[in-house]
Amino acid sequence: MAERGGERGAFRRGFGGGGGRSDRGRGRRRGRKEEEEKWVPVTKLGRLVKAGKITSLEQIYLHSLPIKEHQIVDLLVGPSLKDEVMKITPVQKQTRAGQRTRFKAFVVVGDGNGHVGLGVKCSKEVATAIRGAIILAKLSIIPVRRGYWGNKIGKPHTVPCKVTGKCGSVTVRMVPAPRGAGIVAARVPKKVLQFAGIEDVFTSSRGSTKTLGNFVKATFDCLLKTYGFLTPDFWRETRFSKSPFQEYWDLLGKPTKALLLDDVENANA
Amino acid sequence: MEIDSVEKLKGLQITALDDEEEEEEEEKAQEIDIYDEEEEDEEEEQEPVILGFVEKPEHSWSLLRQQFPSKAGAVPAWLDPDNLPSGRSCVCDLCGEPLQFLLQVYAPLVEKESAFHRTVFVFMCLSMNCLLRDQHEQWKRQPEKSSRSVKVFRCQLPNVNHFYSSEPPKGNKTDKPLTSGAPLCNWCGTWKGDKFCSSCKSARYCSQKHQVMHWRAGHKPQCQQLSLSPQPPESNTYNDGTTGVNEMKGKILLLIKCLCFQTAVASKSLWPEYEMKNEHESEYETEMSEDDACANNSLVSRSGMDDSMKSLLDSFEGDGDRKSWASFQERIAKAPEQVLRYCRSPKARPLWPMSSGRPSQTNIPNCSYCGGPLCFEFQILPQLLYYFGVKNDVGSLDWATIVVYTCEASCDGVGYKEEFSWVQLSSPSPNLP
Repeated sequence: MAERGGERGAFRRGFGGGGGRSDRGRGRRRGRKEEEEKWVPVTKLGRLVKAGKITSLEQIYLHSLPIKEHQIVDLLVGPSLKDEVMKITPVQKQTRAGQRTRFKAFVVVGDGNGHVGLGVKCSKEVATAIRGAIILAKLSIIPVRRGYWGNKIGKPHTVPCKVTGKCGSVTVRMVPAPRGAGIVAARVPKKVLQFAGIEDVFTSSRGSTKTLGNFVKATFDCLLKTYGFLTPDFWRETRFSKSPFQEYWDLLGKPTKALLLDDVENANA
Repeated sequence: MEIDSVEKLKGLQITALDDEEEEEEEEKAQEIDIYDEEEEDEEEEQEPVILGFVEKPEHSWSLLRQQFPSKAGAVPAWLDPDNLPSGRSCVCDLCGEPLQFLLQVYAPLVEKESAFHRTVFVFMCLSMNCLLRDQHEQWKRQPEKSSRSVKVFRCQLPNVNHFYSSEPPKGNKTDKPLTSGAPLCNWCGTWKGDKFCSSCKSARYCSQKHQVMHWRAGHKPQCQQLSLSPQPPESNTYNDGTTGVNEMKGKILLLIKCLCFQTAVASKSLWPEYEMKNEHESEYETEMSEDDACANNSLVSRSGMDDSMKSLLDSFEGDGDRKSWASFQERIAKAPEQVLRYCRSPKARPLWPMSSGRPSQTNIPNCSYCGGPLCFEFQILPQLLYYFGVKNDVGSLDWATIVVYTCEASCDGVGYKEEFSWVQLSSPSPNLP
């Protein structure tokens, strides 16, 4: 290498000319596990999570921060996150040379304790689609609010109120149920609700529930609304706390009450 | 074109108007999407990309300028030690603070004799406010009139030059450059130190701000001692790693830490030093494992047509920003520790994390020295912030990518030429499904 310096240009192996052999032994690692361990965060939120400054998903939900790296969810929720492939559909596109088939995977992830996510990915290979859908599901994870049907004894087990979600022509309605009722729903939303951690619920659906995509999305939308429903617990004024990213902080009135999320969790528990 | 339409006709099927009831009959038939799905794979030609990784330097001397390193953090190893950038080029145009060294890339051009040695340096201002204002500036069409907080310099030398021998360095401690180079600032160790401390006349600074900072940080007590020495010592930092002959006294008076560094840099806010190694991206291509076993676990059978898949796509596969982020993640997932992507070619396109904030061809100006077009050379990824240990406060630095465009012809000249950089910030708006 040193002798050829004169003709080739440059002495060291600089960028652009060389970049050949991997003399550090990288790149030959196999196995997903090692790759996950050496996650290098790309976003600020990722760096905060990796440093341990953020300990739960609720802190992220509180400030409505977008989660852009699925490893954040992995770190925060951890091993209790389970995933399930709901359906794999072949879809096709007409081209001059025939049809191009791709596979579309629907994946639901959840920890069975108030967090669900739904991911859809289309890809030329099934495995890629499933992998991509799992990642997308982790990125779209939402909190699910649970409440009581009657007496506030024990842990919340059902939806807090009647909620309904719609997608396409499918509407799914969830009604609080007493303990022991179980999830009274069709196969597809039952899976989603199990992942969400809801133990008892009555459901009613309408529309073309045969279309799995819409059906699953409608239940997801329904679960999304559980935290959007204003109940008397939320009547107290929120005391806003500073987001990790907020640059300019204007004082908003008289902040004296406790944080909103803490209130709800205390009331329900 | 008639042949195409005939083939298209062959592909069409006669279905009943009410699609819902006909689904069962179509179970056996193949499904046809009428609308065009977005292309998963981008159809650009994949130019070979070289990735840069940061590592701790092997030896204390391996990042000195006579070794022609590629490095990140701490102080730059100037290629041309005499004709350093000065004046307005050293400071952030928005706040006036001297810029901090980010990284340098040793990227010689094989085909050009005058670019036997060629290094590109990137500097940026530490303040996030400046970076936010810089976003507006980079969209301006005339680069001379824009005030940037991120500056890129390129320097090239032929094989035979005044500063280094024509023989390649041996790669050990004995390598020395031919000249000692201009003295550097005592505080930052980055810029030319042409201003003296007026009392002791030994400490050098690049700007008043750094003089003030050094004064407060410990120069004040030393200043009197330095000025008391009978012969004012020559400046104590040169940019080749050696120290002047007649300042043994100065050495003792300086902090003990200085002895560990080659150049006595007083500032604490410099980023940690790393060496940059490069690898081809193709070495990281992982094989896809065909794993059809999970398909058996699907809840519902594979047949049946989904009607409104498009609406589902929109929400769950995301809009433009999320899609470009997803493909960005996929690309870097092959080698998650990369901090630099190098591909110097007019056809090469950088890997954009966001779909918003991308420059069009008109946004990239021409070279201000030769008038020729600029071409993409490399881009810096945000993993570097993680390696630098940048604090994640409200006002700390954060970017999605910094793309550097350099003169396509790599025009010649003495000293350092300014090139164009484009910063893409991550969008702050929440984007929940």
